[in-house]
Amino acid sequence: MTLLLARRFGQMLLIMAFASLILFMIFDTEEFKKKIAVAELGGFAVSALSDQDYQEWLAAKGLDKPFYQRYFTWIGDIFRGDFGHSFEKNTAVGPLIADRLWNTAILAFWVFALMIPIALVTGVLAGMSEGSAMDRSLSFVSVFTTSIPEIATAILLTVFLALGLGWLPAKAAMTQGFDPWQLVLPVLTLVLYGFGYIARMTRASMAEVMTSNYIRTAVLKGLPYRQVILGHALRNALIAPFTVIVLQLNWLLSGVVVVEVFFEYDGFGKLLLEAALFGDIYVVQAATLIAVVVACTSQIISDVGYTFLNPRIRFA
Amino acid sequence: MATVTVDVPERGWLERLESTRAVIALILLMWVPLNVYVMFGRSFGDFADYLLVPAVPATALLYFLTLRAFRESRIALIGATLVFFWLFMAVSAPFLPLVDPNEPIAPFTPPLTEARDHFFLLGADFKGRDMLSRAIWGCQRVLVWGVTATLVAYVIGTMFGLLAGYLAGWWDEVISFIANVFLSFPVMVLFIVILNYLGASGFNIVIAVTFASAPAIMRIVRGLTLDIKTRDYVFAAQTRGEAPLWIMLVELLPNVRGPLIVDACLRLGYTTVAITTLTFLGLGLQPPDPDWGLMIRESAKTALLWKFSYMLLVPALSVSSLILGFNLLADGLREISLKD
Amino acid sequence: MTQRMHPLVAQAREQLAQGKLHRREFLRTVTLLGVSSATAYGMAGGILGENLVDPAMAQSGETPQAGGILRVGMQVQKMDDPATYNWVEMSNQTRHTLEHLAITGPDNVTRPMLAESWEPSDDLMVWTFNIRPGVTWHNGEELVADHVRWNIERWCDPVLGSSNIGLSSIGALMENVDEEQRLREGAIEVVDDYTLRLHLNKPVLSVPEDLYNYPTAILHPSFTAPFSANPIGTGPYTLTELAVGDRCILRRITETTDGQPFEYWGGEVYLDGIDYYNFDEDNQLVAFAGGDVDTIYEFGIEQLEFAKALPGTIEEARTAQTLCCRFQVDQAPFDDVRVRQAIVKGVDNTVYRDLVFQGSGDVGWNHHVAPVHPEYFELPPLERDVEGARALLAEAGYPDGLEVTIDVGNTDGPWHQTVCEIMRDQLQDVGVRLNINVMPASRYWEIWDKTPFGATAWTHRPLGTMVLSLGYRADVPWNETKYADPEFEAALDEAEATFDVDERRAKMERVEKILQDSAVMVQPVFRPVFTIVGDQVRNLQAHPTQYHQFNKVWLAT
Repeated sequence: MTLLLARRFGQMLLIMAFASLILFMIFDTEEFKKKIAVAELGGFAVSALSDQDYQEWLAAKGLDKPFYQRYFTWIGDIFRGDFGHSFEKNTAVGPLIADRLWNTAILAFWVFALMIPIALVTGVLAGMSEGSAMDRSLSFVSVFTTSIPEIATAILLTVFLALGLGWLPAKAAMTQGFDPWQLVLPVLTLVLYGFGYIARMTRASMAEVMTSNYIRTAVLKGLPYRQVILGHALRNALIAPFTVIVLQLNWLLSGVVVVEVFFEYDGFGKLLLEAALFGDIYVVQAATLIAVVVACTSQIISDVGYTFLNPRIRFA
Repeated sequence: MATVTVDVPERGWLERLESTRAVIALILLMWVPLNVYVMFGRSFGDFADYLLVPAVPATALLYFLTLRAFRESRIALIGATLVFFWLFMAVSAPFLPLVDPNEPIAPFTPPLTEARDHFFLLGADFKGRDMLSRAIWGCQRVLVWGVTATLVAYVIGTMFGLLAGYLAGWWDEVISFIANVFLSFPVMVLFIVILNYLGASGFNIVIAVTFASAPAIMRIVRGLTLDIKTRDYVFAAQTRGEAPLWIMLVELLPNVRGPLIVDACLRLGYTTVAITTLTFLGLGLQPPDPDWGLMIRESAKTALLWKFSYMLLVPALSVSSLILGFNLLADGLREISLKD
Repeated sequence: MTQRMHPLVAQAREQLAQGKLHRREFLRTVTLLGVSSATAYGMAGGILGENLVDPAMAQSGETPQAGGILRVGMQVQKMDDPATYNWVEMSNQTRHTLEHLAITGPDNVTRPMLAESWEPSDDLMVWTFNIRPGVTWHNGEELVADHVRWNIERWCDPVLGSSNIGLSSIGALMENVDEEQRLREGAIEVVDDYTLRLHLNKPVLSVPEDLYNYPTAILHPSFTAPFSANPIGTGPYTLTELAVGDRCILRRITETTDGQPFEYWGGEVYLDGIDYYNFDEDNQLVAFAGGDVDTIYEFGIEQLEFAKALPGTIEEARTAQTLCCRFQVDQAPFDDVRVRQAIVKGVDNTVYRDLVFQGSGDVGWNHHVAPVHPEYFELPPLERDVEGARALLAEAGYPDGLEVTIDVGNTDGPWHQTVCEIMRDQLQDVGVRLNINVMPASRYWEIWDKTPFGATAWTHRPLGTMVLSLGYRADVPWNETKYADPEFEAALDEAEATFDVDERRAKMERVEKILQDSAVMVQPVFRPVFTIVGDQVRNLQAHPTQYHQFNKVWLAT
């Protein structure tokens, strides 16, 4: 087990090094440097720059050095806890990312806190009696909500709940400090889109368990239905959804982008999009590293958790 | 695609389509004109509309065949109907009695009202363009780019999956590592970085989707290949001295396509969501031609009032119904193959 | 205050009386010449027989209430060096901390600010600025003429790269040495602590106006970039928090950094603070609707219907901001003037204003001088001529029509695309197939001066000659059309050197006509800018350049 974990972490580090090198190469092109200049100075100002001025500007930004040189400096700095400087926000990347990541963590916490119970209950109820009216209607709801893109849900909720009925704040910019009400719409949007997938997984898993021999035996033995479900079926049915839930962390990191951008919530996703559009390379780099860490860690947790929950499976 | 030349262990739903050759011909007859029309229609000038003439009957016929093949699963039938509805709209849009989707007529006209001698069934947007016309024309780009992107991702993913699974060894190590690199990026991060690098356009969406989806497809194909390559008929082919490439394409590929098609339907749904989202973020398809993602993007700015919400509902429900179609189709196909 | 009237003032009065000069232009001209705005409004009222009151002095009848914080939705940007600012948003963030020598109001009239008055010499080459005594910096020092000198010298340093060099007044302080522009010896003279004299090498009327251009804020000589780290100004507010892309918080300054009570020179200021919250342009109006902010930087015409349904006042400013669908005259097929003329003839400029801006804004006639410009000469309207256009196309070798593509970045909002779509429909009749290639705004700014046919947004500038000099002289960096016509430049030189507004306008006829006939662009509309102000906010007016002036704004309860 320890060996396996070590191998997985080693692989993660290798992937991080590789991914960031590719990003440095991409952002090293002439077009990208020009893009940063345009984003920072404006199109009119850039075309008024002489070639010499432009070179001086690049030098001031540290962009005149070849990418491999900047790459190794950057890696060295990371070991000293310095993630570089944001061109757009004019601040150190480390605290900036930490701050935004914390905001996204709050959002993610509420999404999971709502989504998992709803999805599991829906899935279990539907899977308990496969083919029943309840199964069919719950399954349809979970397919249907998963079929509406987040952005459409987000706008619909804003129009109806915020601007139409005035029940909830329209944006989550938190201008006057943290306000839990502003979080409602973003959380709701993500939950609506995300719960269907877990619910369907749970339903499939539950349905399979319900047809297995030992449940049939338990029912035939005359145990109360409730006890069969809670005592026997549930534990086994939840193994598969567990791995899916952990992997949803990775989905959430993608899903938050559009939701955070739309609701103007200052989180990780919005920061990433802004940085990518601006060409703010050190922010993109740091954000990507974090994304890779989250993706790999959730993968590892999911694998380990699966082994833990299901002792019959061992890694080869 | 070559026809099946070996004994298939079990006859799945796929084989029950009347004749594989005819179906492929029909698919090509529907798909090629639509693709050419959307991607290169401009260079044909006024002649462009005629391109779609053969596609209309082909789509109708295909729908009919699909209904027969999937008759035992109601879910698959509903899914197929939704998908074919939009396919049919896509190929027949130039022949329907619709006004020009880009023509401004009467801004902010609510649905079911008449303004400036035009009856707006679904209302008009902030520029006064007919929503019905835009919704119908809008499906072309989503369908063409969504399906093309998924298809390309499948071709590439399958190719590498077969290579990794069949050749194993170093091939497997290298391909799997590269796939792992891409899989460790959250999808949206990958999309944003790639599209920002290449610029926003339909072709670049294809590339971005390929990078994002092909590694996962490669993993599935690799797993299936590892399983299948130990079968007798593969050994038989190897002893006959057939080339590895031939074995991969003729012996292995036809036997992994069942699960792949189910996965493809799901992935089509994800790709459609992704394209809509990217277009909303300004990284996807560009105006002025109608597109659902763009309609959502525009309405997000202009239609933020209760009375204008139809501007948002029309594209949102359109795109959702297509995605729902893909999802139901996937569920239905899975159900059918489980029964087999 | 004014001891001696400039001779041009008398001339302007005469012209106003004869009806040769519009009231707007009269007010602008005489205030630039050193007449106070109250006197100027009084003069105009006397001549025209109306009761005109300087809006800056007007009493609304309500007693202003002190207190409260104005919340504004705008993109919050970094505040590095105010002399090299390149976005108006940045300058709005400092406009209540740093001040200028003069201030141009929403009525286009320039009033004294840090300079209490100014006097130009008769030939408009020597300008004397009387610095206001008793202006205190936030660190307790008093503002003196030498501080101003330090600022102007700094703008003229080519290493700094301030865009102020492009202003005709600052440019007239410089000379060309070894292929490089640098400050002339003796151009800035500090007469005493409260008097500063500028010696220009050519006559310029717009000096006070130029000194309100957004990168000309007066900094304390102890300044080091970034400004946000050590914000010392003379204004009533100071920066207390800046998070780029999130918020910029300004608060009333009550105490100088050396512990003395701070007294603002400009009299009563009502707000306790101004908070800028970052909302990107698409989201500002929603933020307003949701009650997150009291006013916003801007909303686009496509959101007007939405805005009308909200409680609040929509403020509209007439501007010279425009869209130039310009050709690059050295690239095929636009190197043939007949092709360009055919396209221009095929377009009906009058419809855009109604179709795009619902009747707001002004019609443009393809010469980039706007009706709000004081020297605007009204040329006879262009007639759409489909037959003539077809004939020109045939003559140019395109008897069966032509297919062209225009690049659009929607850099000012989706209305750019609407303009191109209307143009596409109009050109169809002429046999020109117009393809519209829409690209993201950031991408457009990478190619704006390279594309053969593109739709570029130009911002508001107070003078038409300013824009023409920046954009249509050969070899200026912003010449996106590659247009080069010595005759045009000679006419423009002549107009620029004329200070009598009436004569100047007469000379503009030729300038505008040459540019119009050269058919370098379709420039059909000058756009209005819209903002919305909550009902509780008083005394807030939209400024054509979107500069925020909140010193006299107050909040009713």
